[in-house]
Amino acid sequence: MDRRGFIKNSTLASSLFFIPSFVRAFENIAANKLGFKRLVIIQLSGGNDGLNTIIPFNNDIYYRERPKLAIQKKHTLKLSDELGLHSSLLPLKRLYDEGSLSVINNVGYPNPNRSHFRATDIWQTASHSNEQLNSGWIGRYLDQFSEQSHNAIEIDESLSLALKGERKNGIAVKNPRMLYRTSQDPYLKNVLNHYDDAHLNEHNLGYLYKTMIAAESSATYIYETSKTIKSSQDYPNFGFANQLKTTAQFINSGLDTRVYYSSLNGFDTHVNQPNIQKRLLNIYAKSMASFVDDLKSQNTFNDTLILTFSEFGRRVKQNASNGTDHGSANNVFIIGGQLKTPGLYNNLANLNDLDANGNIKFEIDFRRIYATVLKKWLEVDDSKILNTDFNQLNFI
Amino acid sequence: MKYKHVQHLYWRAGFGLTPKQTETLSKLDKTTVVKNLCIESKQFTPLLVDTSELEGINPQIIFKNPKKRKSFFDKSIEKVKALNYEWIERLAHPNELLREKMTLFWANHFVCFDKNIFHVQQFNNTLREHALGDFRDFVKAISKEAAMIKYLNLKQNKKQEPNENFARELLELFTLGMGHYKEEDIQESARAFTGYDFEFNGEFRLKTKQHDYGFKTFFGRMGRYNGDDIIDMILEQEQCARFISEKIYRYFVNDKINSEHIELMVNQFYPNYNIDELMYFVFTSDWFYNEINIGTKIKSPIEYLVGIQQIVPFQFKIPHDVLKVQKLLGQVLLYPPNVSGWKGGQNWIDNNTIMLRLKLPSVFLSNAYISTHEKGDFSDSFKREFKKRGIKNKVFDTIPEWDIFNRYFKEISFDNMSENLLLCPINEGTNQYLNDLSRISKSDFCVQLMSLPEYQMC
Repeated sequence: MDRRGFIKNSTLASSLFFIPSFVRAFENIAANKLGFKRLVIIQLSGGNDGLNTIIPFNNDIYYRERPKLAIQKKHTLKLSDELGLHSSLLPLKRLYDEGSLSVINNVGYPNPNRSHFRATDIWQTASHSNEQLNSGWIGRYLDQFSEQSHNAIEIDESLSLALKGERKNGIAVKNPRMLYRTSQDPYLKNVLNHYDDAHLNEHNLGYLYKTMIAAESSATYIYETSKTIKSSQDYPNFGFANQLKTTAQFINSGLDTRVYYSSLNGFDTHVNQPNIQKRLLNIYAKSMASFVDDLKSQNTFNDTLILTFSEFGRRVKQNASNGTDHGSANNVFIIGGQLKTPGLYNNLANLNDLDANGNIKFEIDFRRIYATVLKKWLEVDDSKILNTDFNQLNFI
Repeated sequence: MKYKHVQHLYWRAGFGLTPKQTETLSKLDKTTVVKNLCIESKQFTPLLVDTSELEGINPQIIFKNPKKRKSFFDKSIEKVKALNYEWIERLAHPNELLREKMTLFWANHFVCFDKNIFHVQQFNNTLREHALGDFRDFVKAISKEAAMIKYLNLKQNKKQEPNENFARELLELFTLGMGHYKEEDIQESARAFTGYDFEFNGEFRLKTKQHDYGFKTFFGRMGRYNGDDIIDMILEQEQCARFISEKIYRYFVNDKINSEHIELMVNQFYPNYNIDELMYFVFTSDWFYNEINIGTKIKSPIEYLVGIQQIVPFQFKIPHDVLKVQKLLGQVLLYPPNVSGWKGGQNWIDNNTIMLRLKLPSVFLSNAYISTHEKGDFSDSFKREFKKRGIKNKVFDTIPEWDIFNRYFKEISFDNMSENLLLCPINEGTNQYLNDLSRISKSDFCVQLMSLPEYQMC
């Protein structure tokens, strides 16, 4: 394309501003139609201490093993006769009370791995602990059931293994405008307008051109579709809140995206846990509350399911530096407007019956949660993605 | 030796070269060039960072005092990052080119991760030392490395409670490949590696009380085997030579295996397992220079980064950016994704990394500007507009050394620039577009060529 052509095209692009919004809405009908369900996945990286998140305030073992770290009953937000929320999670208490939060306890898998590295891989690939998979579970979902890269978006600068399939990948978007501007570099645009389609094959160079085309198209689509939406919702001033704000902007603009992925880092609390965890849970809960309000204001909350996990929980017994070491089974939060079993999905495991390393034993395999979400929420055949049949749960 | 063949050899055995170097080498015959390449790598120069502030620490204190322990590891992790920077620097300016490229290869074969700088550094130099040596000694040395003993749980492998992690990966990933052993072989060989441990300084130590001296049945034979015996028995299998040859072929020759070539390599490699001789054999083989093998591999992020440096050297103003760019491109040295390493090939490329790779040369070298100035066009409104706007949110701040590039390419015509920078033929449509662009500035043209999908190939 010559420069004149380029200018013409860019005016055309900017004229999209002036198309009445109902026409734009019509374009996105597929994604806007009622019942277009989205999944938002949040990873609390580093291994969040589940025992100090959902606190067993009547449990003697808990207080015995954590003389310094245990949180007193009066400082928790009571959920049941046995369990209370960390006080930083006040905004989540509201969701709990209105029936939009389900807490699944004791989630894990057999022979747990306590390396961040490996445990994250296991959660992201949905593998067995002794099995090495090179594709993520969302990536395999894309392989099977999607057309476009932007069907799964990670709100970050680079793509996690979770979103990498065998053949297809999601796309990482931290700032849609930046990504768009990169993809619209005039020179790269010109290359895209000139390359010769006929000689592209599946082999390496052809693959590079095809990925370049797909990336440009997704970057443009995401930016053009989402830029018209301006949120009136207030978000706290955290990086994580900003990620959720971007996610809400994407969801509310009717982007044809099924899965969103974000993470909040820093939960590896070996030392001075109380302050660190308090700060992080506060960031998580306040950001999440704004996010939920934002979705509610646009009537998209009911079609959004938010799954929060951490690669492992922490040791029941505290360590000598006012912290906790890597553990195994942990709790998972499910937030949504259409929960079947809101509240506490199951009881906390018996702290008398720990594994050989002094960690909580798992009761629910995390892949049962994935299977449930895939089948009942994204409405696809979960066994094709997980390669095994897992028993469904009843939270949705 | 053909110009193109010199480039091919040096992209696979190194990270590309300057026009002058290619020119000089192309006047020699193939055998001489490859021989020199091997001779230049006879030396071994360890890669070391300054660890003086961490030396002389009493390990007992570290293990008993959690605060001191944390402080040690915080510092150590910074040193591991420093080693990463040094490694990248070494790759850009190596004395022993082939040895360094092989080290990179082996780091993705004997995959290991650790946070203790002394152990990381020692492991890295063991890779470097054995990179062109005897594969048998190599495997044995790796099995006794502190970092590996931790990484694959040899430390937890005890007579009463064997841990099979290392034994499994030894057979599956390091020597034979899946399907060439039985579960029983894993269990029995795990017993031979019981009691493996190390001193704080990284030296190997066998805890005799935890070593199982009993009889083991391995590959149908019975004896009181120790770890080294097991490795010897594995290497008796020709399959081991085949497994390694295939991996080397995929890395240095082609993603797709040619089984005839593999058998030739196996004949060369087995039973002596001399890596240096194997590489000499590959690089002097006619088939290595087949069209189908030239410019058909996707560069790894490290090859891509170091390759740009060979043409236009540049420095990051913020040292940490070296790590950041590796992370964005999907390959951070010393931080492998898992025990099977980086998959490579098309797996390097996703929607984000392709855009990044196309945009980065301009970000590094020309303030993110890629010229679209066409022939006969006297005003470059885009460039003016671009300069007026200035650079906001620049991702990487660099100092490019265009003087050096200008010296390298002084004698090179515009037409010859593409053959020097690109190893594969340019897509026809793209090429037509390139032909319409003005040919005034070689630096502009260099950035244009580096911003193509074709530049990703080697």
